[in-house]
Amino acid sequence: MPKKVLLVDDSTTTLMMEEMILKQRTSYQCVTAKDGLDAISRAVVESPDLVLMDVVMPRMNGFEACKRMRLEASLRETPIILVTTRGEEEYVEAGFQSGCNDYITKPIDSFELVTLLHSYLGE
Amino acid sequence: MFRPRMSDISNSTSQFEQEGPSQDVGDQAKVYAARMRLQNALDQADALDAIREIAGNLIGTEEVAVFKVDKKRSELWLYWSFGVDPNKHSVLEVAREPKLKQVLSGKAVFRLRLSSENLLSTDDPVSALVPILVDGIPSAVIVLFRLFPHKQGIQPVDREICEVLSNCAGRAIEPYHSR
Repeated sequence: MPKKVLLVDDSTTTLMMEEMILKQRTSYQCVTAKDGLDAISRAVVESPDLVLMDVVMPRMNGFEACKRMRLEASLRETPIILVTTRGEEEYVEAGFQSGCNDYITKPIDSFELVTLLHSYLGE
Repeated sequence: MFRPRMSDISNSTSQFEQEGPSQDVGDQAKVYAARMRLQNALDQADALDAIREIAGNLIGTEEVAVFKVDKKRSELWLYWSFGVDPNKHSVLEVAREPKLKQVLSGKAVFRLRLSSENLLSTDDPVSALVPILVDGIPSAVIVLFRLFPHKQGIQPVDREICEVLSNCAGRAIEPYHSR
């Protein structure tokens, strides 16, 4: 069974880019969600092996979605990687406090992304 | 609102794969995603939103503006902006901005990574000036201001993305421009 990655972003551009990179460079299966609320319901249904989620989104941001996912028993241990525009310490700290495992900064570097996902899911 | 569905991607992947074997997969994905997003823009507002998305997610700046060229081609008027103070950048005079002459000839101009020279006479650092071509004529200019602090200048893939912006963003300024 291929590992399943939930990609969450309100930008279709980003979702398209991420899915193309993962399709070309990994064997992971991708599912997508367009905001934090959508991500929670998709995650409960799909039980992804990892969540790659943007921070700034309408309806519910990535920090809040991450917190709420951690309250779901089935998602408590699921690795969550936040995609941020800022790498500053306080911003990253806020991400970790929300329960994420890691973060990656925009614009996404494909090598960095694939290496990071491999470190959680294996090749 | 129509947006390319993720299920469409598998159908379009073969075209994406043909972009060039020597190019990094991530770079190909960025260029392709930029083109698809602009070509599928529903209307003018969506095309402007696409410019914002591409600048923020693929290039690395959340400070972007579009200036429209006036009929005499002597001034550029602010048409739309995101993340910048519109009062500071309402008009650009071509006579006072030498780099704009180059851009209005249809060629994008980029700030070199180690250069301290600004591309416009403004306090805000400008990273790129990208002409928007409508029927081959530069009709507006996209100004990309400050890049994210962790971003190491304009990269080769950013130049390719800007070429896509130049050729495919006409709908952002001309609502009835064909894709």
